[in-house]
Amino acid sequence: MTMLSSAQDGASVRRPSPPSPPPVAGPRRKQGGVILAVPALVWYLVFMVGPLVAIFVIAALHWPGMLQPISYAGLDNVRAVVDDPVFWESVRNTAVQLVLALPVMIVGAYMLGYYVAQNPPGHRVLRYLLFIPGLVSTPAKAMVFYAVLSPDGLVNGALDTVGLSSLTDAWLASPSTALLCLVLLDVWSGIGFTAVLFAARLGSVPAEVGEAAQLDGAGHWRAMWRIHFPVIRDFVGVVTMLQFLWTLFGSAQNVLLLTQGGPGSSSTTLSFLVYQKAFIAADLGYSQTVGVVLFLVGLVGLLTIRRVFRQNY
Amino acid sequence: MKFGRSWLPAHVFAWLYAVLLAAPLYYLLVSAFKSNDEIFGSPFSLPTSFSFGNFGEAFGSAHLGQAMVNSGLVTVVALALTLALAIPAAFALARAEGRAGAWVERVFSLGFLVPTFAALFPTFLLAAATGLFHTRAFMVLFLPATAMPLSVVILVQFMRTIPREMEEAARMDGASTFAVLRHVYTPMCLPGIATILLLNFLTFWNEYLYSLVIIGPDPEQRTVQVALPTLKALTGTDYGILTAGTVLTLIPVWVVYTVLQKRMQQALVNGAVKM
Repeated sequence: MTMLSSAQDGASVRRPSPPSPPPVAGPRRKQGGVILAVPALVWYLVFMVGPLVAIFVIAALHWPGMLQPISYAGLDNVRAVVDDPVFWESVRNTAVQLVLALPVMIVGAYMLGYYVAQNPPGHRVLRYLLFIPGLVSTPAKAMVFYAVLSPDGLVNGALDTVGLSSLTDAWLASPSTALLCLVLLDVWSGIGFTAVLFAARLGSVPAEVGEAAQLDGAGHWRAMWRIHFPVIRDFVGVVTMLQFLWTLFGSAQNVLLLTQGGPGSSSTTLSFLVYQKAFIAADLGYSQTVGVVLFLVGLVGLLTIRRVFRQNY
Repeated sequence: MKFGRSWLPAHVFAWLYAVLLAAPLYYLLVSAFKSNDEIFGSPFSLPTSFSFGNFGEAFGSAHLGQAMVNSGLVTVVALALTLALAIPAAFALARAEGRAGAWVERVFSLGFLVPTFAALFPTFLLAAATGLFHTRAFMVLFLPATAMPLSVVILVQFMRTIPREMEEAARMDGASTFAVLRHVYTPMCLPGIATILLLNFLTFWNEYLYSLVIIGPDPEQRTVQVALPTLKALTGTDYGILTAGTVLTLIPVWVVYTVLQKRMQQALVNGAVKM
């Protein structure tokens, strides 16, 4: 019985004060019950872990709509997904999105964070501005981008003004640029916020590290990549994992708000496909099968990133 | 000279990006006071008059007033519930010495790796099964669960720094476990509580996809993040109203950020580091 009730060893038990310098654990073992953690744990299991497990169950069902009869499908859904060209297009789109957005975001944010951490003139203003994308909700960001990129929006207006009308485009509605716009939105909002995280972490690196580098005559570039980067390498890994997850899973929202996956399926990402098949096409087994794929991609991605950024000193 | 000439490109790039960040937001802000003609004619000029017509229009056509109230309600109640669940849990885990405590703590730490978004459809089913579909109540119950891993882990870290002697002193005076939690631990980890309040305020207020699917489009129930995109369809392409609505949804976050900038950045950094 490791679950001790915290309440029962409460007021009634007056413990004599333990004999001088108490070791960290040991004599007062009985104090630590975990019963108070049970509500939070149950809450978490019911609302988070339960639905997560359900993905795998639903993926094995044939379920053509909320009110339709459900039958066991085995691997039929997997076959349907693998045979569907739209699935492969969304795999490609997600890959493009990750490959373009993540490196640009992380490298850009690291360099920017390093710059800000040196406290250059105006760094306070800069810190304030950089953080703003972290505050703005996804729909609000999408509305800003919509106003900027729509056919009569800011970008086209600017192109017209400088006499480059030939370059104007319906950016969000053109197959060649829709996905790119989504990547741009990720990068635009991701760099600033991530840079603030890096700047804060770099700020807690002992100043001697930088001074030693200067004494050795290391240039800024060298100091940035060869000296500071290894010190916060694991932190960079954690932030990369977060951004990876946000990009992989969060893209559904931007796609839904800006392009609806189109034109055609040129901007359909995996996470949007999950949403679209569940709530628009009502093909629930298919949707959750893609959900399983998404989950596995996420898991493999996380493990890979962790391995790449493992602290190696 | 610390920032010599070799820093020039860095200055240029950093501020170029800052301008790229600020420009759309500036555009957003000034457009909120303009008509479509003015927006297209001179997108970056200051508005000629600071009339709040667009704001009124946005308020009316998308029922943004009700939506703000709904968002506020969901956010505040969900925050209260988060604290009610996370503080006792962290208290128990910080003091636990058995294997069960370590095991529960591991469950919460692994929770970081479970992306909230993954289980949208099953959560939708859960809402339907509990009869709370199309209500704000389900979101109030659901949001704290998404916040649990981060909140518990941050609070446990804070509570571990509280010396045992504090508790023993209280016990000598006859304090019960709950009294220790209330009068010793909670006051001493107020910075941790502030951190999770700020972090979760941001995520709860800004939550979109779950609110969309679970609360649905009913103007009486929906949150502001769900109401906002409907302006796009409702007003056709009246950017003045669209941007005014967007500005309105940003105000609460903006106010909190400007007042608590330092603490909020620290909170987000903590959130990322503790993973």
